[in-house]
Amino acid sequence: MSALLEVRDLTTCFKVDGGEFTAVDGISFSVESGRTLGIVGESGCGKSVTSLSIMGLLPKGQGRIAGGSITFDGVDLVQLSTPAMRALRGNRIAMIFQEPMTSLNPAFTIGNQLIEAIRCHRDLDHAAARAHAIEMLRRVRIPSPEQRMDAYPHKLSGGMRQRVMIAMALSCEPQLLIADEPTTALDVTIQAQVLELMRTLRADTGAAIMLITHDLGVIAELADEVVVMYAGRVVERASVERLFAEPQHPYTIGLLGSIPKLHLKQARLAAIEGQVPTPMTVMAGCRFAPRCPFSDAQCEAAAPPLTELATSHFAACWKAPLPWEKAA
Amino acid sequence: MSTAPGRPKQAKAPSGGSAANEVASVGAGMSLRRDAVTAVPVPRPLLLRADNLVKHFPLGRGLFGRGDAVVHAVDGVSFTLGAGETMALVGESGCGKSTVGRLLLRLLDATAGHVWFDGEDLMSLSPAAMRARRRELQMIFQDPYSSLNPRMTVEQTLTEPLTLHSLAVGRRHERAAELLDLVGLAPQYLQRYPHEFSGGQRQRIGIARALAVEPRLIVCDEPVSALDVSIQAQVVNLLQDLQRRLGLAYVFIAHDLAVVKHIASHVAVMYLGQIVEYADKDSLFSQPRHPYTHALLSAIPLPEPGRERSQVLVQGDVPNPISPPSGCRFRTRCPHAQQHCTEEVPELSGEAGHSVACHFWRDIALPAALQPDVSTRVLNRRLEQLQAAFLPKDGVHA
Repeated sequence: MSALLEVRDLTTCFKVDGGEFTAVDGISFSVESGRTLGIVGESGCGKSVTSLSIMGLLPKGQGRIAGGSITFDGVDLVQLSTPAMRALRGNRIAMIFQEPMTSLNPAFTIGNQLIEAIRCHRDLDHAAARAHAIEMLRRVRIPSPEQRMDAYPHKLSGGMRQRVMIAMALSCEPQLLIADEPTTALDVTIQAQVLELMRTLRADTGAAIMLITHDLGVIAELADEVVVMYAGRVVERASVERLFAEPQHPYTIGLLGSIPKLHLKQARLAAIEGQVPTPMTVMAGCRFAPRCPFSDAQCEAAAPPLTELATSHFAACWKAPLPWEKAA
Repeated sequence: MSTAPGRPKQAKAPSGGSAANEVASVGAGMSLRRDAVTAVPVPRPLLLRADNLVKHFPLGRGLFGRGDAVVHAVDGVSFTLGAGETMALVGESGCGKSTVGRLLLRLLDATAGHVWFDGEDLMSLSPAAMRARRRELQMIFQDPYSSLNPRMTVEQTLTEPLTLHSLAVGRRHERAAELLDLVGLAPQYLQRYPHEFSGGQRQRIGIARALAVEPRLIVCDEPVSALDVSIQAQVVNLLQDLQRRLGLAYVFIAHDLAVVKHIASHVAVMYLGQIVEYADKDSLFSQPRHPYTHALLSAIPLPEPGRERSQVLVQGDVPNPISPPSGCRFRTRCPHAQQHCTEEVPELSGEAGHSVACHFWRDIALPAALQPDVSTRVLNRRLEQLQAAFLPKDGVHA
């Protein structure tokens, strides 16, 4: 089965004073219909820039795609004209952002904004669009949707606003939904509600989801496939089961060790010392090498390629598979 | 005990003179205190006692005011903390946990209630006396970007509290360097400004500033929630090391229960301005009693893919704290709510250091999702070995 979205060697650069830096450095992955791809990484790893590149929403004059291709349903989005991209965006590719308050216009009612989004992409009259908007609000389980249509965003709680965003994103039945930290701003009980909702909607619509988050717990709950990013590069790619059971890249291993476990007693967390290199840092070798307890001269000298270590399990590490003692 | 503290009626009663007497305020808080002390095998000397703290924020009068309406931010919170212990206040946004932290340090004036620190009622101190007392009570804030003055170098930031409290006279530069070393930063950073640091480093500077005056208690208000996971772990480890070395007590305010389980010795779960459950860490996580605690624990997404679990999904949102629900405040979202819950306020009571404010906790079975499951504890030996490489070589191991 061919992938719905295929990203190949994507490189995205940003202008800074007196030069350019590479935010995303030759990354590749693909998403199939009905599947969920999780992209996980910490601040500055390039995960959000990746989603903006796909959506064609890089800030004009500052960010540009310097290389690679983004193929969506057979069309290369990098080459697409602005009007063609605009027709696609919000229609066949939709996006949910982290902060539902800033993504909604405070001066218009929820209904107004939903109807506008629907009529932008579908040939419906106002009454039909309104009926469809109410139906969408009902599907994301907003209580008494008819009344909510006339509410302004500030009247709704954070969880409700995120539901409205999801309703808006799904109103044109997109084939691909990009969710950038969809639950990060929400409280944990509300997050559980939204995750449950996304699971149901995925089953109903069969859309592909690209889920971007820093939370490995959210990844474990929702994703089928996972891409781990570090400093603009993909360091590991595997099915969710394999990634959590047999992570290969030291960064993934350290990241999993940094999360306090609810079911285990731990004296200390396996913290990754040091910090992410700034994007301006020029590094010949592996970008994780300075923080990696397994690194040596080879790691500093050359960047490791993404290699298939087991079926559909890729990692970019010279040291993988790491040795360990089976008998203890 | 027929009434518990913290119900709106009682909260409005003036709690001046007579309440300064410790014994005067008898209620759930009192029973909680006794339990808390007996639960610890060797009782540590009591350092802090919050006694029926209440904070109501008026919404203001005038043209756009809403008359006498108030936000019930904190409504009758009592707990104790021993020297060198960590008590966590957990709950979702708007539950009043940060307000409690500010009331403890008198950064906000309480509407009612008392804070006893080392046997002294902080509420009775004059502003000048309180300022002097703050040498022993410090605070670390959530946002390391806005809690440091951008125009002050690290050295200025670290020596300002020393000047205020006339400490380390004549050797302030050395002391500042010591402090940086204590939090794992190199002394050459002294002349730099906050913008030159990453979030994790700034949080370390915030911690160093709090440590400058050698406090006995630090209120940590979401100290790691703005940080990336790997950096979060560094700061959590640092806070634990400092506690061991300096005998600090922490009031740890957080919404992340996994972090709390890692760092706290006692946990108070808050909902809409009140403590709904209080216990030592092990009982709270192995035998949670309040339905809200059940919901909180089962809502955490676990980094264990494919693990089937039946979540306890609570419906809806937190009600408006301007007019909290009658009776039990959680009843509007509680799957076990009954008629009785709307009528009578459940008081916080219990035995053996585990208190809960729920009429029916004995009748509520522990949800399957929270049953201790042996199969999930099978360790991944390979992962454990490899992760050990990330632990500091000369590290402090418990």
